[in-house]
Amino acid sequence: METAPHSPLAPRTSPAPRAPLVRAIDLTRRWGRGDAAQLGVDHVDLSLGSSELVAIVGPSGSGKSTLGALIAGIDRPTSGSLEVAGTRIDGLSRDRLAQWRGRHVGIVFQDFHLLPTLTARENVELAVRLADRSVGRRERRHRALDALAAVGLGDKAKRLPNQLSGGEQQRVAVARAIINRPPLIVADEPTGSLDQAAGHVVADLLAGLTDIGTTVVLITHDAELADGADRVVEMLDGRVHRHLAAGVDVTMSLPAMAVAS
Amino acid sequence: MSGMLRELRRAPARILTSVLALALAIGAIGVLAVPAVAASSLRAAGERDQIPQLVLTTTELGDDALAALAAEYEQRDDVIALEGQMATAIDVPDAGVVEVVGVDIGNQRVDVIDLDTGRLPATSGEVIASTRLVEAADVAVGDSIALANAGSNGAASTTIDVVGIGNSSYWTAEPVAFVALDDARAIAGSDGYNRVVLTSPSSSTDDLRALADELRADLGAAGVTVTTLPEVIPAGQHPIEEDITQVSVMIGFLGIVAGIVALVLLASTTNTLITERTREAAVMGALGARPRALRRRLRRIAMTIAIAGLLIGIPLGIAVANVIARLVLQEFVGVTPGLAVSIPVIVGSVLFALIGARLVSARAARRVTKAPLAESLRDRDGNPFGRRWSERLLARVRVGGLRARIATRNGWHRRARSVAIAAQITAAIAALMIVASMATTINDFNAAESEPWNWQSQTVVAGSGLDIDRSIADDRSEVAIDTIGLYDDWEIDVRGLAADTEMIDRQVTVGAWFADDRDAVVSEGFASRVGIDVGDRIEVEVASGTTSYDVVGLHRERGRSVFVPTATLATDLGQPEAGNVLFSLDEEPAATPDGIVITDRFTDLTDDEASRNAILLIFGAIGVVVVSVAGLAVASGLAVSVYERRHQVAAMQAIGARRGDIRRIVLGELLPLAAIGIAAGLALGYVGALGIARSFEAADAVEIGFTYATGAIPVAVAVVLFGCVALAAVVVRQVGRRTLAETLRTS
Repeated sequence: METAPHSPLAPRTSPAPRAPLVRAIDLTRRWGRGDAAQLGVDHVDLSLGSSELVAIVGPSGSGKSTLGALIAGIDRPTSGSLEVAGTRIDGLSRDRLAQWRGRHVGIVFQDFHLLPTLTARENVELAVRLADRSVGRRERRHRALDALAAVGLGDKAKRLPNQLSGGEQQRVAVARAIINRPPLIVADEPTGSLDQAAGHVVADLLAGLTDIGTTVVLITHDAELADGADRVVEMLDGRVHRHLAAGVDVTMSLPAMAVAS
Repeated sequence: MSGMLRELRRAPARILTSVLALALAIGAIGVLAVPAVAASSLRAAGERDQIPQLVLTTTELGDDALAALAAEYEQRDDVIALEGQMATAIDVPDAGVVEVVGVDIGNQRVDVIDLDTGRLPATSGEVIASTRLVEAADVAVGDSIALANAGSNGAASTTIDVVGIGNSSYWTAEPVAFVALDDARAIAGSDGYNRVVLTSPSSSTDDLRALADELRADLGAAGVTVTTLPEVIPAGQHPIEEDITQVSVMIGFLGIVAGIVALVLLASTTNTLITERTREAAVMGALGARPRALRRRLRRIAMTIAIAGLLIGIPLGIAVANVIARLVLQEFVGVTPGLAVSIPVIVGSVLFALIGARLVSARAARRVTKAPLAESLRDRDGNPFGRRWSERLLARVRVGGLRARIATRNGWHRRARSVAIAAQITAAIAALMIVASMATTINDFNAAESEPWNWQSQTVVAGSGLDIDRSIADDRSEVAIDTIGLYDDWEIDVRGLAADTEMIDRQVTVGAWFADDRDAVVSEGFASRVGIDVGDRIEVEVASGTTSYDVVGLHRERGRSVFVPTATLATDLGQPEAGNVLFSLDEEPAATPDGIVITDRFTDLTDDEASRNAILLIFGAIGVVVVSVAGLAVASGLAVSVYERRHQVAAMQAIGARRGDIRRIVLGELLPLAAIGIAAGLALGYVGALGIARSFEAADAVEIGFTYATGAIPVAVAVVLFGCVALAAVVVRQVGRRTLAETLRTS
């Protein structure tokens, strides 16, 4: 596919760094204190490379979403260090962290979280506006339309979220996540609210992003979705239980998830 | 109770804000109880002290004449008791003008002194001081008061000893020394009485006036002249009740504005709380709950808030009404009232809150229960943006940046809340402008009231008659007459002046200044309100009876005045060569009349701001309540608005929005509403303040005028803008308390 230089699906011009894109050391997220304390992530060490499609799996309450939120910078660790794309994000101020998120990470939520008052194009355009104020209105609009075209929604740019199906809304969310061409995409149960067909479309979209040098972290309990990952990290009780390499049949390795899926 | 606590746990800040706003509003509405509270205290005191129904001031009336009069009149069914008094005004250094009132101490049946502390006078030179005299002269029981300036005739330069402190309802607003009759006569240099007071069971003003006419005729037959217009106080009333009612009703209107603002807030809060339960209601509906029962359950939220507001607001309202009544009565009457409660106002407040809560919650409850169950169970937001054609149309408008579009579309999406916020800002600005405009108007009225006058001092002689020989005037002074009259049931000032007087600017606005004996010039504002024109003949009742004048001109003087030639008025009053006030163009008149004289300086009189400030203080306090309620309401509305969209806000932050971005979006929503609210508030403030000024004019038939406080506009605008910026910052900070992950997860 021919892509424009600013297209979200254009290959990265700079070579991918050799250092891991995500490096978590002794990462802990705890709520509350004393006996009432709840552990979300418990002393996790994790390293993710560039252009990897990593699935984080585990049963409910295992800490996979919390780990994803920490990596995406929408939650803060209680202790430990977290370096993403060359930046220690655990110590950033709230506004610095927001700025960092806008430029370095794209997030896809299970519930889409599109702004209901903005059209599909405006939702995508907003991500550019927030990440880089120097981008002009015309360029923003072009990039938004390109991103929507890349997810197959070029003809629905003027629709409001209320006028789109669940699958289409999630594709808008993917377009919003990739428009700034971040090195990292974190997708938390991206197919959880979609039917099977729509889920496949979204899953394929996300998997394809690794081809352009983007690291994709998929948080899922869908064994089939995890099956296509380069690497699977299984969480249990807030800790990394085990790593499964590419090619392993996740459905067989994680029978409980297979049943669930 | 447990239901109330359960509701409180759901959204404590929102519910407490609504409760507080409603309680404050109910408290403010409590001001409407002030007249009842004040009247109750005044009437109770009046009944206790046998306040007179008729007061006539006279020339000297001997003991025998009074005894004969009492014997005759006390036989009548419409008279209970008739007594004489001797009252003289004297100047006390550092305490001002003090009335020395001589009564038959210990044997009074009319205008009885209620002794607070000490004892009744037993010997000559002992007095009972009124509370006002105690305050003015700073004395206590056992102290002495020197009566300086006790007359150029040297009749009564003396010292009096305070042996008791007490008041009578009639004199309660004045600094008074109650003394034995002989002492008062010695001070005044008289052997008789100069006041006739009587009590009557009649509550009819007309009957009492007829009685006064008979009494005046009988006094005239005995060679005694009535020197001022008879004072009529219908049984069961107090003379200042009407004034208190007028001011309280005006202030009560501000309370009602606060109440309406609070109801708008209640509507907004309950609407949100009920809408949030759309899915809960749908689940219950799916399980078989009847819509009617569901609606009742949903409406309970508003009723809970209303009941909580009443529980706080009613005691607050009782306290506010009693504090204001106490302030007004102490300031104007010197009475300290006991605690009183107005049942009608309490019942009205309860109905206002409960019916208001029922009404404001009914629509939301009906909407939630009418929505299709399947839709409600599936969709948390029962009203997503884009469902209406106007929203779809708005989504196609690409004016402004993305933030502006978000703000505009959100504002349109939640139109009811936007209107509520704009209305609340309108109420706040209107209240600010009404209070400021009333202050400006009253200030300007006071300045305009004294503007036409040129005299620098006025000297009167103690006593109530025309006691000044007009021949003492020189080229810098003039002996005039200032007396109370009655025209068409309006109490007016009848002012006798020379045709070539220099004490007032004689420039008239219509017609000419008087030249002939029966000519009169009337205050223009009063004339227009009661329908007097140049060329009319007016009948005025004065102390001696009814007399008539031909109106030849209208004057800009702001009071209810009729200016007539001094000689004519003096003749009408039965003393052709006399007057009762010596006006001078100097601060000290060159010659002073015989008797105990009191000289007031023009500047001292115009500087008396105490009563004006008391009214403004009360207006200001209620204005602050309205602004507080409106501020709470706007803050709550904005907080709810942002809270409802917390997931959107978190999503924006997740994709890179900083707090400043969110703040600007919130401000983008709020500022246009603030602009609308400011514009509407300025207009409403103008209309409201003008209405209050006009109603004062209608009630008093004087030309108060109206000055819109344009100087307050920048302050009001700045307050609103600063409030908006501060609110936006606080609200965004509140929303950002939870981590983004938590907020997004709980959607």
